[in-house]
Amino acid sequence: MKLHQRITLLVSIVLAAVILAVSLSLLLYSRQTILAMTTEQVERKEQTLRKSFSEMARYYAKADDSEIVHASLIDYCFSRFADQTAVLMHDGEPVYTGVSIDPSAYLKKDDTYQTEYDSVACKVHGKNLLIAGGMTSIGAENYTVYIVEDVTDIHTRIRRMSLIYAGVSILALCIGAGAVMLLVKRSTKPVAALSEAAKEIADGAYEKRVDVQTGDEIGALGQDFNRMADAVETKISELEERNERQRLFIGGVTHEFKTPMTGLLLHTGLLRRANLTEDERDASLAHIEMQTAWLERLTQNLLKLFTSDEAIERSEVDLPALFETVREGVEPKLIERGASLSIACETQTLLCNPDLIRSLLTNLIVNAANAYDANAPEKPIALTVRGQTISVADHGRGIPKEAQSRIFEPFYRVDKSRSKKQGGSGLGLALVKAIADAHGATITVESEPDVGTTVSVTFP
Amino acid sequence: MKNRILVVEDDAAIRDAVLLNLQFAGYETRAFEDGADAANALEDDHAFDLALLDIMLPGMDGFELFSVMEHYGIPVIYMTAKTDSASEIKGLRDGAEDYIVKPFDPLTLMVRIEKVLKRIGKWNAVFRVRDVVVNIETHTVTKGGEPVVLQPLEFDVLVMLLRHKNMTVSRERLLNEVWGFDYLGETRMVDVKISALRKKLDLEDAIRAIPKLGYRLEDR
Repeated sequence: MKLHQRITLLVSIVLAAVILAVSLSLLLYSRQTILAMTTEQVERKEQTLRKSFSEMARYYAKADDSEIVHASLIDYCFSRFADQTAVLMHDGEPVYTGVSIDPSAYLKKDDTYQTEYDSVACKVHGKNLLIAGGMTSIGAENYTVYIVEDVTDIHTRIRRMSLIYAGVSILALCIGAGAVMLLVKRSTKPVAALSEAAKEIADGAYEKRVDVQTGDEIGALGQDFNRMADAVETKISELEERNERQRLFIGGVTHEFKTPMTGLLLHTGLLRRANLTEDERDASLAHIEMQTAWLERLTQNLLKLFTSDEAIERSEVDLPALFETVREGVEPKLIERGASLSIACETQTLLCNPDLIRSLLTNLIVNAANAYDANAPEKPIALTVRGQTISVADHGRGIPKEAQSRIFEPFYRVDKSRSKKQGGSGLGLALVKAIADAHGATITVESEPDVGTTVSVTFP
Repeated sequence: MKNRILVVEDDAAIRDAVLLNLQFAGYETRAFEDGADAANALEDDHAFDLALLDIMLPGMDGFELFSVMEHYGIPVIYMTAKTDSASEIKGLRDGAEDYIVKPFDPLTLMVRIEKVLKRIGKWNAVFRVRDVVVNIETHTVTKGGEPVVLQPLEFDVLVMLLRHKNMTVSRERLLNEVWGFDYLGETRMVDVKISALRKKLDLEDAIRAIPKLGYRLEDR
């Protein structure tokens, strides 16, 4: 059962109980009041009749009146005041009566009263009667006066009133329940919207948001929901992006491995199966050696790339000493390319991981050395540290504008065949970027084709 | 006349190995490592029966080079490390004859080359070793100009060895290609046919048994 249905049902039950209690008590009270008033009226009528009749009868009656005179005097006096509801009884016999029943059968004398008979409500021949009675004495004779009032009409009116009460109650209940249902439905509508949105998000529509503008808890829930959806969407797109980068990277790695693998397979096949001359055999082995060395470099760089992601250990590193180690490492490459290296060190120490920074600088200097053509200018490669920034500047061939944004991508090469000949794995700058990222450092590249390139790494 | 094949591949190891394999199979070859160089050279010399092109090439990539080949009517087989079906579809839709993904088996490459050459009707069906001439189309074998009669299975074994001249062909491969799958494992049947061939064609020293590998028809 839905929430708004349950709330409506509960409220309707409570409402019905309240309305029933109120209208029932009102109805009972009204009925009692009306009946009490009617009874009082009838009793008063009887008392008035009895008093007027007895005063007049006593005034005219003489002790020596004959029985007939007395009887006609009584009859005369009573009929002067009586209407068709009045009854006069004497010794259990009716003297005067306006009704067709014997009231003494319904209203007995109560011993606690002297003259009053009180009153009684009874139903005779389908009529509601109210009978009031009282005793009086004229001379030595006792008379009983009754009023027999037909109150069927009042009862009918009370019944009609009950029906009206019931009708009004049902109407009030219906209006109340309807209003409650509308209200509850309106206030749970945002909940339905939230549920719908949650379902869509679960099905993959991460951009879905809810429009809940109410200022209550549900509105707050809606805002929280949207915040959560924002977080989910951001996270998902981050993950998707990372996944895509990883997919491309793995594709790149596979591709990079395929070429040397093909060479290796073809040459091992030749060595094993072909009828080769001594020279051909040597050439094949040389190819195998080169391809294997190349694979080794590739795996080393891959390994570094993966491990540079992990948390790194840092220490205060003596930069001049570190730079000397770097110079020793790149010396063969510099000689091969006919380039030289100048070092300018304004900062003495830097908080970093020395092994990784050595790797970073070696990569940058090897790239700079490779940027020199055979007719290299005399200007040396400059390794400079100023403040928190280490930069490597060359006067080589530079990087074309359109390539500058892509040089840090794994396996991106500005000039594929030249890079391969120079032994580049396609991962050097990706590694530089990964090491800089691990240190929280930023890299900037300034390059002009045929003028030179400056790569600066700024540490936090 | 030998079939001429153009090879454009920038990786020296792969290029050299493919060239050797092609030469062993009796093809004449010419190779380039740069796409643009290859395109330029074609202006003077374009009498090639087939071109083997790498796709990622310096100078001019394989897809660009394809239109040059089309101009001279040279059919193309791509050799590439690209495995995504998009570039395969592009290569074939543009009209390339075939597409071989690195790393590949050199014998498979030879079979594909042969199929393309047969399809375009340029396949040279005549093989020679010493004074033995084998015409695959007419199913004839001559030795020193004199016809020699070979059994069908002997002929097929000889053709397999000729196709992969100077390369060792395993007994399993011979069984597979000549006898079919049913005879797998019965390697002794190969030895019987080989000794018959050696006697009939006087190729005792040319058809060498390579221990643990198979047989090799040597001609160099």
